[in-house]
Amino acid sequence: MLRDITLGQYFPGNTPLHRADPRTKILLILAIIVALFACDGALPYALLAVYIFGLVALSRLRLRMVLRGLKPLLFLIAFTAVLNLFLTPGDDVLWRAGAVSVTMTGVHKAALLVARLVLLIVGTSLLTYTTSPIQLTDGFERLFSPLKRLRLPIHELAMMMSLALRFIPTLVEETDKIMRAQRARGADFDSGNLLHRARALLPILVPLFVSSFRRAEELATAMECRLYRGDVGRTRMRQLKFGRDDMICAISAALFLGGAAALQLVF
Amino acid sequence: MNEFRREPPILELRGLSHVYSAGTPFERRALDGVNLTIKRGECIALIGHTGSGKSTLIQHLNGLLRPTQGQVLFHGQDIFARGADLRGVRFRIGLVFQYPEYQLFEETVGRDIAFGPVNMGLNNREINRRVADALDMVGLPREVAEKSPFELSGGQKRRVALAGVLAMQPEVLVLDEPTAGLDPVGREEMFALIRTLHETRGTTIVLVTHSMEDAARMASRLVVLREGRIFLTGAPSEVFAQDEALTRAGLAVPQVTRILLELRRRGIAVDAGCYTVEQAVQKLLDCRKGGRPC
Repeated sequence: MLRDITLGQYFPGNTPLHRADPRTKILLILAIIVALFACDGALPYALLAVYIFGLVALSRLRLRMVLRGLKPLLFLIAFTAVLNLFLTPGDDVLWRAGAVSVTMTGVHKAALLVARLVLLIVGTSLLTYTTSPIQLTDGFERLFSPLKRLRLPIHELAMMMSLALRFIPTLVEETDKIMRAQRARGADFDSGNLLHRARALLPILVPLFVSSFRRAEELATAMECRLYRGDVGRTRMRQLKFGRDDMICAISAALFLGGAAALQLVF
Repeated sequence: MNEFRREPPILELRGLSHVYSAGTPFERRALDGVNLTIKRGECIALIGHTGSGKSTLIQHLNGLLRPTQGQVLFHGQDIFARGADLRGVRFRIGLVFQYPEYQLFEETVGRDIAFGPVNMGLNNREINRRVADALDMVGLPREVAEKSPFELSGGQKRRVALAGVLAMQPEVLVLDEPTAGLDPVGREEMFALIRTLHETRGTTIVLVTHSMEDAARMASRLVVLREGRIFLTGAPSEVFAQDEALTRAGLAVPQVTRILLELRRRGIAVDAGCYTVEQAVQKLLDCRKGGRPC
C-alpha cells in the first residue's frame, strides 16, 4: 500500500555515472535540459536521444524501469500532443474536418513536444536514479555555495533538504503503522462521505505530528551532542573531487551536446 | 498442554504464505506455509529472530494483512471469505502493536479508549462502562480518563493504549512485544496484567516476544518461527531441550537452562527442562539427593 510509493528513486550501482561528482551530474543534466529547449530540428534531437539513452545504458538502468517514470505524465504528454496536432494553424494542411485541421507544422510541433517531454523526463530521472539523495543535496550545497557570500543560508537549506529526504521513508512507514493500529481498533478509512473520511484521518495525523515533533527534538539533541553548529568550520567526510568519471561526463557532453548545437545551427 | 487438546480451535492458520512487494525487485517471502492451531483459552508465545515473520504473522490473525496463499479461520470461518465481516473480526481479535502508545490521538484518555467501542457502534452507557472497566483492568485510576494522554508517563501511556484494545473485550488478545522499552518494574506489571486477563477472563493470548525467558514464564506453548516457517513448537521444556537447534535459529535458550544443559554435557545427571532460577535450584537439589556428588 503506502509502502509501494517510491521516493528518492536511487538505484545503487557502480558505473561512471554513479561514481561521478554530483556537481558534474547536476551541471550535465542542466546542460541537457538547455539543449533540449534550444534545439528543434529532427537531426539534433536524434543525436540528443542517442546521447540520453546512451547514458541510460551506460548506467545499467533497466529501460523498462526508466520508461515507467513516464507513466504518471503519459496523459499530459498525450493531451499536449493532440492539442498541437489538431489546433496548429498553417497553410500546409494535410487533413481537415470542419474547424479542426492537421497541418504539417502541427505534426512537426506535436512530434517535437512528445520527444522533448520524454527526453526531459528520462534525462532528469537519470540524475535521481544514479545519485543518492545525500549526494544530491551535497552537490547542490557546493554548487550554490558562492551565494553564501550574499548571506543566503545555503548550508542550512541543504541540511534541511537532506533531513527531509531522510525522513520521508520513516514517516511513510510510521503512517502505515499507525493506520494499521487504528484499523485494529475498527477505524474505517475507505468508506463514508468526504467529511467522514477527512475526520477519519485525525487518528492518523495526530500521532504522526506528535511523533514527528518528538523525532525532530531527538534529532536536534543528537546533532548538538555531536557538536553540530551549522556551517562554521565544518569539514566533510566525502570530499568531492573532479576525477576520471567526471571527465567522461564532460567529454561526452561536449561531443554530443556540441554536436546537437552544430546540427541545429547548420540545418 | 493436554488440557487444551479437547477445546475447539479458536484460530487456525492453514498453509499461510505472505509475499511482500510481489513482482518487484524487492519481493520478499515473509511467511511460507505456516500451519498453526490456537485453542480457546490458550496462552501461546510466538518467538523468533528479527525478520522471522512474527509481525507479519500476527497481522494476518485479524485480517490487517491478506495472505498471498492460505487461510485464516476464526471459529472455523474463513475471515477473508466473500461477504465475511472483517471489521467485526477485528473487534473480537484485539491486536496490540509494538509501542502502542504512539497511536494515542484523542484529547482525553477516556475518549481514546472509547475509540474502539465507538467504532463497534455501542451505546453511550455501554461505552462508559467499558472505558471504566478497561481502566480498572490496566490498573489506572478512573480520574485519568479526563486527562490528556500526552500528560502521562511512558508506562501509563502504554496502559492506556492497551486499555483501548481491552475495551473492545476481544476473545483473543495478540500482543507484539508488550514489554519493549519498559523498565523491570513496568515489565513485571505488564506480565501480571496479561496473566490476570488470561486467568480471570479466559482471554486467549498470543504473545510475540524474542525473549525466551518471558515466553517460558508466560506461555503454555511456544511457537518458534524461523525464516517464515514454524521451526519448533511445543511446551517450553520440550522446546528448550533442543538448544542446539535454537542456537542455529539465532535464539538463545534461557540462561538458567543453558547452565543446566552445560552441566549435563559434563556428565551431571540434572534435568535441564526448566527455565527459572527457582526451578533450577530445585532440580539441582533433586540431583544431589539422587546421590551423585555435584
